[in-house]
Amino acid sequence: MPTSPPPVESSITGSVEGPGTKTSSRSLRFQSLVRSFGRLPVLRGVSGEVAGGGTLLITGSNGSGKSTLLQCLAGLLAPDRGSIHWIEEGRELSAEERRQSIGFAAPVLSFYEPLTTLENLELFSGLRGVPPQRGQELLERVGLPLSRPAGALSSGMAQRLRWCFALLHSPTLLLLDEPFQNLDAPGRRVGAELLQEHLDQGGMAVIASPELDELRGISHHIRERIHLDP
Amino acid sequence: MKRRDSSHQPQPRPAQQHTWFRETAAIFLKEWRCELRTRYALNTLFLFAITTLVVVSLSLGPLGVATAERTTVLPVLLWVILLFAVISGLPRTFVHEEETRTAIALRLSASPTAIFVGKSAYSLSVVLALEAVVTPLFSAMMQLPIANPGLLALALALGGYGLAVGGALVAAIIAQARSTGTLFAVLALPILLPLLVLAIFISRAAIAGDGAGDALTQLLLYDATISAAGLLLFPTIWNP
Repeated sequence: MPTSPPPVESSITGSVEGPGTKTSSRSLRFQSLVRSFGRLPVLRGVSGEVAGGGTLLITGSNGSGKSTLLQCLAGLLAPDRGSIHWIEEGRELSAEERRQSIGFAAPVLSFYEPLTTLENLELFSGLRGVPPQRGQELLERVGLPLSRPAGALSSGMAQRLRWCFALLHSPTLLLLDEPFQNLDAPGRRVGAELLQEHLDQGGMAVIASPELDELRGISHHIRERIHLDP
Repeated sequence: MKRRDSSHQPQPRPAQQHTWFRETAAIFLKEWRCELRTRYALNTLFLFAITTLVVVSLSLGPLGVATAERTTVLPVLLWVILLFAVISGLPRTFVHEEETRTAIALRLSASPTAIFVGKSAYSLSVVLALEAVVTPLFSAMMQLPIANPGLLALALALGGYGLAVGGALVAAIIAQARSTGTLFAVLALPILLPLLVLAIFISRAAIAGDGAGDALTQLLLYDATISAAGLLLFPTIWNP
């Protein structure tokens, strides 16, 4: 397991490259992102970069724009200004390619309540062209029952299901908004393991969290951080 | 919690295996699977349609409308019942995705056009099922003979298609707004009005045994236009 210094604060810009350089041709760079909701400015020129095998941490208090930034990176929100560039092997990915290569887990993400955990993941496996048994493998890995309806999950179980959804298609980039929220100790441990495996395979991660305490188990993955002020 | 195993191995790149048809079919099946477990839209649609049908038949009955006016009035009543039944249940197809925050997972997992076509196909299957139940009941309760059942079936199929696709498009628009119930009626009526006029005209011709003239072609063109508009507009409506 790689060791690295604790996170280093760097105002509203940051960049990070993972311990492995085998995927240095892969990078996500965002520059001067601005996003407002009506007259309320939320992102005011945020820039950062993350390369293969690396993790970028975004911190800030409630309302500072962490979730908004992640949703912009995921393509769920369009920034008012600024640019996002995702380079793979020297080629910039299209919006559709980016969508297919992103794993997203966030509190705003919910699942179909009438469907079981397995049925939910089978649906998204079908949509993403992933073998259906991948969902079952992930559910067993995080310790979730296969046949429980998503509407009957506790908040911690729902968070585990979000991890499964994010990793279902073995994405290149993980966008994790408060990924350890509501997880118990075993859940945090398996989450850290899954993240480690993702990074070991050359994946990138951007993690948003209001508190560093929540990330104690994975702090060795984080080289750089962006701090957002409300 | 299980320990680390080999389950999180690299998978074949999903992008290479992706097909639009598989996404569309998955959306269609998901809609039906969720609906069959909750029965919200089906119960709403059929309850509204059957209740209205009973009220109309009790109020007017087979003798409540003069024979000379039956061909003129009854097709209008039939389409009004179908329209309002659809309006009462189908907006849920997109609104529910936004309300329950499942739209985000869908946005990340499927292409917009596959979502639109999958949901429209689901809406069409519901509308056709509704028509298959309501029309024979309406005909029987109002003792309405139909001279050309084939033409009426065509009017119902083409009209139902327009209702389903146009309704899905409007539902997608209003799902992004707040007062969804009011907005659906406000937006849907002008969009669906030409469809209703044509469907009623063809239904009248089918009941009376007359020819439908250009109305059939116009209804086909309407369906083609609303389909093209849906496919072109939906990605912009669905994505930021």
